[in-house]
Amino acid sequence: MSEYTQVFLEEAEELLESLDQELVRLEQEKTNRALLNDIFRVAHTLKGSSASMGFDSIAELTHEMESLLDKIRQGNGEVTSELIDVLLQSLDALRSLVDEVAGRPAQPVEVKALVDRLQSFSASDHKKGVPSNSPGAHEQSIEDTSLTDSEQSVIRAAQEKGFYTYKITVRLDSGCQMKSVRAYLVFNRLEKMGEIIKAVPPVEDIEAEKFDRVFLFYLVTQADQREVEEALDTIAELESVWVEKVGADVKVRTGAAETEEALPHEYRFLQTVRVDVGRLDNLMNLVGELVIDRTRVEEIGSQVRVRLGNDPVVDALEEVSTHLGRLTGELQEEIMKARMLPIDQVFSRFPRMVRDLARRAQKEINFIIEGRETELDRSVIEEISDPLIHLLRNAVDHGIEDRQERIRLGKDPVGTIAVRAFHYENQIIITVEDDGQGMDPEVLRRRAVEKGLITEEQASRLNTAECLNLIFLPGFSTSKEVTDISGRGVGMDIVRDRVEKINGTVDISTKVGKGTKFTIRLPLTLAINRSLMVKHQGVIYAFPLVNVMETIRISPEEIKTVHGRQVILLRGSVLPLCNLNQIYGGHHLSTVFKTDKGEADSGLSVVVVGASDKRVGIVVDELLGEQEIVIKSLGDFLGRIPGIAGATILGNGSISLILDVRGFVEQAGLN
Amino acid sequence: MALEEQLVVFQLAGETYGVNISSVHEIIRMQEITKVPRTPDFVEGVINLRGRIIPVIDLRKRFNLPLQEKTQSSRIIVIEMDSVTVGMIVDSVSEVIRLPLDQIEPAPPMVGGVDAAYLRGVGKREKGLIVLLDLNQVLKREEKAELKDSANQAMLQNEAETKKGEAPAQAAKASL
Repeated sequence: MSEYTQVFLEEAEELLESLDQELVRLEQEKTNRALLNDIFRVAHTLKGSSASMGFDSIAELTHEMESLLDKIRQGNGEVTSELIDVLLQSLDALRSLVDEVAGRPAQPVEVKALVDRLQSFSASDHKKGVPSNSPGAHEQSIEDTSLTDSEQSVIRAAQEKGFYTYKITVRLDSGCQMKSVRAYLVFNRLEKMGEIIKAVPPVEDIEAEKFDRVFLFYLVTQADQREVEEALDTIAELESVWVEKVGADVKVRTGAAETEEALPHEYRFLQTVRVDVGRLDNLMNLVGELVIDRTRVEEIGSQVRVRLGNDPVVDALEEVSTHLGRLTGELQEEIMKARMLPIDQVFSRFPRMVRDLARRAQKEINFIIEGRETELDRSVIEEISDPLIHLLRNAVDHGIEDRQERIRLGKDPVGTIAVRAFHYENQIIITVEDDGQGMDPEVLRRRAVEKGLITEEQASRLNTAECLNLIFLPGFSTSKEVTDISGRGVGMDIVRDRVEKINGTVDISTKVGKGTKFTIRLPLTLAINRSLMVKHQGVIYAFPLVNVMETIRISPEEIKTVHGRQVILLRGSVLPLCNLNQIYGGHHLSTVFKTDKGEADSGLSVVVVGASDKRVGIVVDELLGEQEIVIKSLGDFLGRIPGIAGATILGNGSISLILDVRGFVEQAGLN
Repeated sequence: MALEEQLVVFQLAGETYGVNISSVHEIIRMQEITKVPRTPDFVEGVINLRGRIIPVIDLRKRFNLPLQEKTQSSRIIVIEMDSVTVGMIVDSVSEVIRLPLDQIEPAPPMVGGVDAAYLRGVGKREKGLIVLLDLNQVLKREEKAELKDSANQAMLQNEAETKKGEAPAQAAKASL
């Protein structure tokens, strides 16, 4: 793939992404002219760049979109949901066409049919839409670029009102592709700050790329010089930006040739560097190794102290080791931050999706997003997108009732779905909430039996929380009819699997008639986590803290037997007990409990763990405390072992197994 | 293609075996092995090899040979093949030799109690026979993980995949 194509693709994907979001917004804000202008410009830019690359289908489609938008901009049409529909369809088609260019598998696109639809929306005459320049801008020939009298008077008038005028000279990188796109970005940023009264060369020429590497704008604004410079700071591929104040008496004389020579005095270097993700992953791994070695150094230090006692060398070693510890901690944090992305990467696609789903299901939905800026590790971001999509689909399809039904129930006819993300302690919490019909545990119980997923007898023993968790079973679906949105009984099991794959948990709370809320808790990073270390029969295990509810001490007398299972009562609810031997093939609990009441201190340490709806008490010999551990795989040869999530290396070099709590709970045969 | 093969020669239950040196990553002394539950019984556990976690198998158990205590001369031969790194416990490692290819013959059905399925052939030299192991077969396991994505992924897989294979009813039982 040529360098040009690569650049085109990056640009196009960015443009399509913003188009998508803006169209959905436009539907909400039908009369927002600025938004309409933005959308028009994006379509226009895309048209220009695709035409210049020779991607005719993309150019043709964007051209039609642009004409249609232009009509509406001129006030010869209205923004309707149907219009947004057709524009969004065209957008999807463009995505497929771009995918095709990128060599990705793409949906076949009927460009012709879409063009016809677009045309039927717009009138029969297709004027080429050229974005109108801002008022005050005059057509200028390239030769004559000094400010005209009328422009001078504009600048003077602006000065009197306390506005500044700047001449902004931009020089593009020599390797810059898509010059018009860069110039458009500059134009766009400046427009947001004030009024561009002049462009050299004229805007049309800049759009048609009729310039070499330098162009300039005159901007009337209240912003000071630094703000203007900062506004353009983040645009890539600009070799230099030169902002100078212009008084009304300044005669500017720049021919194109002179502009070429008007070299800025200072070069601005970009403040960001793109880094390959693989490199970040490697860094993370290296830091992980460092964390392990640091703990080892500490351990060795304390051993040395035991042997040498109070020796200055030992003091020095401890000092170094403490410092090393602090540095490693900071390094780890920095690298974690470098890998963080705002969750908006995922959320930004949702408004469009919810809108489409709602239209198809003929429901009215008010969609709320909060916490877009919440950052999490990119590996987590990648994994969390699908589960959230499933939850939203379900909320639209099963959660929110249709309009008549809502009116009948005395609810607001417009349903509400909200997605929220926020940090909580060392976790990310994402909630998906709807104010729809909620779920009835009894209905779920019956369905599960009807579908043969569980027996009557099993069903009768489930408590409310366990009933709700039935929806996570593969093949469970409550939908009366199968729609293409959901109802095939796949989804929720995938949601849970995917979330737990990244060490997260999903909880449900629901009220019949009021709505449902799913709460997903995720770790900040996948490679390093805080764990509770325990010792059992001489072996050290790590319990990921995300699964640890609490630790308690009980006396053997508290243990009761119910249905042949050993349980205790914890704050009034029954907590089944098990121990770690059960992952080695299920010793029965009673064989490992010392019921030696002769000991005065015969208390047992119990770690209460939770996985989805289940709470289980795991009896261990000794609690060792919390520790940061680096998760390592057991390797392909052993593959995946139920109940074991991986292993870590401890300070003394020995290996400790990390428990996969849900796997363990299921393996421990708690049914 | 060289006309000879370099072999790492080791002893196991009184028999002399050889593996091609190109698959041998290193040879280490016995060290503490951490047991891992729910693994085939010939898997002794895992060791920490300078920060890497490597599974270790006991070759005697693999070949159903009589077991014996580990001794001072016991060694772990660390084998690296494809993406799999595994340690094999052997009684002792004696030498590295060059064996001309024309000295290698097909394996008889059974050598020293080891099934021919695990063998590549038998090498002849003055000191006696060397049984050549087919490591691909030795390191095969019934339910070898098919997922070979990043370590992160692999370690964070829970039993979801295995569950999908079962009938829904069983899966239901498992999660209730």
